[in-house]
Amino acid sequence: MACSTQAIAETLRVEVAASFINVHTGPASEYPIFHIAEKGEKIDVLKSHTGWYKVQLRKGQQGWISAGSLNQTIYADGTVVEVSSGSFEDFANRNWEVQIAAGLLEDVTSISASATWVVTSNIATQVTYGQALGDFAENKYWSIRLRHTTFPEWRLSPYLALGAGQLRTTPRSNLVASGDESRTNDIMEVGGGLRYYIGSNLLMNIEYKSVLALTQRDEQEEIEEWKLGITVFF
Amino acid sequence: MEAWHNRIFLILSGIALWLSASVTAYAQDDQRAIPPIIEPTIERRQVTEADIDSENVEVTAFIGFVSIQDFGSDAIVGARLGYHITENIFMEASYGSATAGQTSFEELSGGAPFLTDEERDFIVYDLSLGYNFNNELFIAEGWVFNSDFYLIAGAGATEFGGDERFTVSVGAGYRVLLTDYLALRLDVRDHIFNSDLIGEEKSTHNLAYSLGLSVFF
Repeated sequence: MACSTQAIAETLRVEVAASFINVHTGPASEYPIFHIAEKGEKIDVLKSHTGWYKVQLRKGQQGWISAGSLNQTIYADGTVVEVSSGSFEDFANRNWEVQIAAGLLEDVTSISASATWVVTSNIATQVTYGQALGDFAENKYWSIRLRHTTFPEWRLSPYLALGAGQLRTTPRSNLVASGDESRTNDIMEVGGGLRYYIGSNLLMNIEYKSVLALTQRDEQEEIEEWKLGITVFF
Repeated sequence: MEAWHNRIFLILSGIALWLSASVTAYAQDDQRAIPPIIEPTIERRQVTEADIDSENVEVTAFIGFVSIQDFGSDAIVGARLGYHITENIFMEASYGSATAGQTSFEELSGGAPFLTDEERDFIVYDLSLGYNFNNELFIAEGWVFNSDFYLIAGAGATEFGGDERFTVSVGAGYRVLLTDYLALRLDVRDHIFNSDLIGEEKSTHNLAYSLGLSVFF
């Protein structure tokens, strides 16, 4: 008895509750439907790929069903299966974000990547690495910051961020006159932006930030950055 | 008198019945309280959707050729880390490394080389977004693989000639899924960046062709 319980625990077996479920040959809606699972049929769910689930039918055929179809099945105890097909509710319950962004740091094209831990619906901590490789200098920075989303329950919400990090500037080696060595400065940044929930597990954001580089010289250096980003959340 | 006796008997038997019933109930309660002789070691657990193994991350190792503008064609090796967001959209970080050859001028003149050996290391990396056009590859009747053609574009940097330059990478590829988790990839990328290594600053196109093997997990 104990053994069989363990064996069952390895794959998820569900029962079709809808009148039928379409089974595709591949994990996308474009792939042809080659079979259907009938009402009452027990199917094993083997794995998932994006919003698609690989299943094994009663007679041994294997195919892919959509998240929407899997939500039309029930567990052995009769409760309805609920898998996320990417909804605003999932967005509200997210824990992690990964973002890539492109923009302008002063007049130089910049790219950056960041990882975010969503602490509460309002507050998140974000670690960013970015670089802007210009004609005169290579700028690379990292920063860690706190982000406050003003209206987390809105699809489109403004946010504010405050952070600190380091900026390394290296003058182009082929500029003979420069002669400067690369220098690293601590930075402080304040930023604001808008984020928009596109759908599925995707977000988009546009941001402006002002970076203050704490230099050894008498005056501090102020740098501006604009960027447009795409975020995936988990 | 008879009726009175009868009534007492009825009341007594009623009480007796009630007592016996409650005693049995107590006995049953008592029986329930006895611990089972064998404790089940494995708790029965409901398998839920959280236990489903998701395969959205793709790791690729690739090898191919890159033609570095003005510096000939050379072998390139690298790796890619991708995440499939939807059935069509994926994001990917790529890293490739090659060693540049000599310019035709260097070869013909036999003079001093433009770059040191270290400066000939060509490293390109980028972050990209790709779009899959899902399809199927029919090799013969009853022999079919799921596959997709994709367009991909991104930005990153190229380290070459003692310089690091902002680089735009655009390309296309074809992915054949040998199994659910193993795929063969054919990629063509154009890495575009500005360079002033040879004379005036100009935009250079560096085409890379590669064959990759990827694993989904």
